[in-house]
Amino acid sequence: MKMRIDGREIEVRSGETIMEAARRAGISIPALCYHEAFGGQGHCRMCMVEVQAGGVTRLVVSCTYPVTREVEVKTSTPAIEKIRRDIVTLLYKRAPDSDFMERLYHSYGCSDNTLHANLGERCIMCRLCVRACEEMGVSAIAAVSRGTDKRIATPYDEASPDCIGCGACADICPTGAIEVIEKGSRRVIWNKVFEMADCQRCGRPFATLAQLEYLESRLDRDVVKQRLCSNCRRKEVVGKVRRYNASLPFV
Amino acid sequence: MATNGNQLETEEQFQEIITRYPTEQRYIMPIMHDLRNRYHYLPRKALEMAAAHLQVPLSQVYSMATFYKAFSLIPRGRVRLKTCDGTTCHIKGSQTIIEEVYKNLGIRPGETTPDREFSLETVNCIGACAIAPALIVNDKVYGKVTAASLKTIIREYGGRENE
Repeated sequence: MKMRIDGREIEVRSGETIMEAARRAGISIPALCYHEAFGGQGHCRMCMVEVQAGGVTRLVVSCTYPVTREVEVKTSTPAIEKIRRDIVTLLYKRAPDSDFMERLYHSYGCSDNTLHANLGERCIMCRLCVRACEEMGVSAIAAVSRGTDKRIATPYDEASPDCIGCGACADICPTGAIEVIEKGSRRVIWNKVFEMADCQRCGRPFATLAQLEYLESRLDRDVVKQRLCSNCRRKEVVGKVRRYNASLPFV
Repeated sequence: MATNGNQLETEEQFQEIITRYPTEQRYIMPIMHDLRNRYHYLPRKALEMAAAHLQVPLSQVYSMATFYKAFSLIPRGRVRLKTCDGTTCHIKGSQTIIEEVYKNLGIRPGETTPDREFSLETVNCIGACAIAPALIVNDKVYGKVTAASLKTIIREYGGRENE
């Protein structure tokens, strides 16, 4: 199936979202809550595009809009740019402590306003952290409360028995809103203290014991038998490949 | 053991409510409704047991419990006062009622007396504008409430005055 996007004709699979098709074709649509690992969430509305199909033009969220017939898409129009500017303005005022949002605020040329700035906040409620935690199979955090009080938290704001301290949430957070304190062999995240395991090769603390135990319980033990940090694991694999190549008679 | 009205809050009771439903995610809401109807709030232990029974992460159950205004995570009283704070009631003096409740019982909206006898919350328009300002006490509606009639109502439900 064909789709026209910003004047270019590209091939789409039926049911694929506009966002996926565009990214495959190398066309970038701005988004805050989209991650290719998770697909569209439809939270941030930054990826709004104009869709023309059957003589009707409307604005849709490209990360959740499946293409099921031939459509013409424009990723940038004055109306869309205004929506994006408004979203950035509101999110920056919600999370003024975030450098990331501050940069966006300036690059989108948002105008000064008298909106209340939520000082000290960095979270923009994109919920990538919640998705990451869910993908880990842990789901220790979720959006709590509603409206302007909405925030990401563990149940009852206590150390969650489910949390394994993997830090996937903080890793994926675009604004650095999730606090991780690492001191010596300890990591503190979501009000919970974790003991760290050292890399067997370089001795650097690289993962929490709880995380390794969790992985061992879910994966083949051999996979995590060696406790190596990502750097040392890469070196290990390179060494293996090299030895294997050397063993081949014709190389 | 904590009590709420005549309802004992025991794990057996929670279990009895929760296991009426099969292990499926979609029964989170019905279970929370049943818990609310019996206890007028969602006991923490019950939510934990519900999450375990439905095989849903506790974080998700907690997320839903905090999303809806109909659910409270802190215990409500035996007598639950709801003052209407819709436009009409607001103009007709609902703030005075809220103030009077505080004077009589020492609780603000969202609070419960330490003996778990009375609790107060404000609600948006209940559609009783003709008899504003309105007050609902355990599902019974009282209209044209004044400081004096509020005292009578509180006494009617067994409350002692604070003065």
